[in-house]
Amino acid sequence: MILTKNSLFTLLLLVFSSSCFAHGVDSNTEHFLTTNEGSAIVPFLYIGAKHMITGYDHLLFLVGVIFFLFRTRDILIYVSLFTLGHSFTLLLGVLAQINMNVYLIDAVIAFSIIYKGFDNLHGFKLLLGKEPSTKIAVLIFGLFHGFGLATKLQDFDLPQENLISNMIAFNVGVEIGQCIALLFVLTLLGFWRRHKSYFAFARTSNTLLMTGGFVLLGYQLTGYFTTL
Amino acid sequence: MNTLPTASIKSLIISCIISIVLAIVILLIAILPAEFNIDPTGLGKKLGLTVLAQTSNESVKAAVISCPEVAKATDGKTEAVAWPDSVMITVPARKGLEYKFHVDKGNKLEFVWKTDGAALYFDFHGEPQGNTTGYFKSFKESTLSESSGTLKAPFTGSHGWYWENKTNHAVVIHLKTRGQYKIKGLM
Repeated sequence: MILTKNSLFTLLLLVFSSSCFAHGVDSNTEHFLTTNEGSAIVPFLYIGAKHMITGYDHLLFLVGVIFFLFRTRDILIYVSLFTLGHSFTLLLGVLAQINMNVYLIDAVIAFSIIYKGFDNLHGFKLLLGKEPSTKIAVLIFGLFHGFGLATKLQDFDLPQENLISNMIAFNVGVEIGQCIALLFVLTLLGFWRRHKSYFAFARTSNTLLMTGGFVLLGYQLTGYFTTL
Repeated sequence: MNTLPTASIKSLIISCIISIVLAIVILLIAILPAEFNIDPTGLGKKLGLTVLAQTSNESVKAAVISCPEVAKATDGKTEAVAWPDSVMITVPARKGLEYKFHVDKGNKLEFVWKTDGAALYFDFHGEPQGNTTGYFKSFKESTLSESSGTLKAPFTGSHGWYWENKTNHAVVIHLKTRGQYKIKGLM
């Protein structure tokens, strides 16, 4: 049963996979993106994977999401929801040419990190008496993460030819990158989880996670207001 | 469900305050000075971080600042100005630009220019006035950080340099000229 579910997710991931490149597209990548013509599956796979592994805001959010997830099945469900959200808005954004301000989108992504850290500290439970559905929150933030990428990609004026196959290659690349990143994060957290200090430091860890979110939020908002 | 050892409103508030204060400190001291050249505490400048915001600024535009050499009075006598026209030309990273003079046939353009360090590819050339074929005559083409000489215009027209900056940093050229010409400036 679980196996079937897992393979279904894998299939979904391959079809829809996702991502967000909002921030660091370096100049070489930018050069490639703007001059590339036609289909280029492997380069797009690579850019997608690189984006995910070097995208610290994604990684922070990912750490926040899996911090209190211990079962492989739960981790798969949450990561897949995030990926689904991502993929949907990335494809929609690029194909429908929806353009948003990159700084504002990245500010929302920063906010998602704060939100998850706050949630991990049981902020909502303590203040509201109950936790909002984490699954829905993850899906919604996934949607925003995808818009960030879509907006950034459109700035490069991508050639229309083979746009979809390149986008899908990129999405699959993002998924590969996300899996590699997860592998590292889970390995590290896995070691740490065996010690009591993991729980003793849970508050510190999530406070630092929120700090990271606030720093990114301040950075993105400053960027937004200085480029108005 | 594995969770926090204890969870209370008090510890939640403490966590939130700590994270906000820490974030503000990091932003004010490091990130704003380094990324945006915004330095409310002055610490960014002391630490040398604001330099990053200046050099990483990709949007350096091509610019010309004229810096006439003022005649200096020495011993009551006014010294003749050696170079009446003196300009600083900024060539942005990975960009090229042209700076031209209108010189009539037979007139002279004496020049000396030097960059602030990097060598630039340049083509010193002239285009006859009224010519629309795109023809130009190249006088000197090389990659140097300085050059000087005198041009006796072989024809009436637009004469000057095309400089190309192949480095990743903006390069400033100090160009000094004298002779019989009209400055056309940046093209």
